[in-house]
Amino acid sequence: MILYPAIDIRGGHAVRLTQGDYSRETAYDADPADAARRWADEGAQFLHVVDLDGARAGAPQNLDAIQRIAATVECPIQVGGGLRDPDSVQAILDAGAERVVIGTAALRDPPFLQAMIDRHSNRIVVSVDTRDGHVALEGWTEAGNEQAVDVVAALSTQGVPRFLCTAIEVDGTMQGPAIAQLTKIAKSTQAQIIASGGVGELAHLRSLASSSPPNVEGAIVGRALYEHKFTVADAITALAATAA
Amino acid sequence: MNARICIVDYGMGNLRSVEKALEHVGATATITNEAETIRAADGVILPGVGAFPKAMERVRALGLNELIAERRDAGVPILGICLGLQLLFDSTTELGGAEGLGLLPGGVDMLAAEELKVPHIGWSPVRWEKPSRLAEGIEGETPFYFVHSFAPAPEDADLLGSAAYGARFACAAERDNVFGVQFHPEKSSSAGLRLLSNFAGVCAATPTPA
Repeated sequence: MILYPAIDIRGGHAVRLTQGDYSRETAYDADPADAARRWADEGAQFLHVVDLDGARAGAPQNLDAIQRIAATVECPIQVGGGLRDPDSVQAILDAGAERVVIGTAALRDPPFLQAMIDRHSNRIVVSVDTRDGHVALEGWTEAGNEQAVDVVAALSTQGVPRFLCTAIEVDGTMQGPAIAQLTKIAKSTQAQIIASGGVGELAHLRSLASSSPPNVEGAIVGRALYEHKFTVADAITALAATAA
Repeated sequence: MNARICIVDYGMGNLRSVEKALEHVGATATITNEAETIRAADGVILPGVGAFPKAMERVRALGLNELIAERRDAGVPILGICLGLQLLFDSTTELGGAEGLGLLPGGVDMLAAEELKVPHIGWSPVRWEKPSRLAEGIEGETPFYFVHSFAPAPEDADLLGSAAYGARFACAAERDNVFGVQFHPEKSSSAGLRLLSNFAGVCAATPTPA
């Protein structure tokens, strides 16, 4: 499995939110490119970048920082946060991102999603955020009624190549990923799944690697890296533990 | 010795990340399409993303096809990256077909990815098919980062590396002082940096031509 160290940008800085709550922010690096450089130097194979201001505004707000990160590191990056129209998606790709992560708009605007899949193929990741198995929208401040498994299965038939599944109830808590729910979602699709939320120790990564279905291709880790619970190199080793 | 490497700018691709990666390994990198600057370099990198026919059009319009062939003849190490590797070959079938630089014999064709989606985007382990200064210190089956729909078919003697995506394909080639990789070393973490560092080493070890 691939480790995706996470860099969330707010007001130009690298921060982490707890459970997606904008009022529970912890600031880490003044320049997000410093965090990117650090993870890349430790051997990261991919970076996951979220423009939190963009997620709120509905359009990219930190293009400069994203461009700087892309130019700084020797690994690909994927970027999400407020990508709701073709121009925003193009701007992120032009800034040097290898993949774009589409959230709310993927669920709200099926023609837009289809157009993006037709145009950008497997550069597209659809982010599905869940609270207790239900899909949450709008930068997590809005709750929904649909079951995540159903949504993922339906979007897969539309050709979505990769999903990012975040369990909000564990995100930023470092208390362990929601593996049972992730497994349920992964089994409903042939697409690749990136797991996000709750990783706080290497044992969490080992159990993800050993007990998830084979299409769970990676895991996002944020707070645990910023707080030096383990290194990127250790995390990569933990994720290399072969699945059963 | 600190190698001076020119990254050939023909208007396609994000060259800044290649430049940064070269600087990271201690080489002096210059993005340029000026003949005199390229002639003064210890090594030449031909980068590129996008479509082959359009790229060759620009390369020819800038007279870079003759210049790159001249540098090859002068013994200067040349490294093609991604589309830059493909351009080193005789021709492609992309978009109705086009002639390449012809520094490596063989053609470029669409990936036979079977049921998998093209383009191939992601990390794939690379198997080295022959010993090379470019691959020194990089274990076989080390993953590199790919973004491509086409791949070359080099002659057996020139095949340096291969990877699998549905079917196996050639992802690195070497013939005398001409090298090429289908993956992006500048996006391939420490293994990619090692490869670029190896290339810089080859450039530094090659006597500067008159």
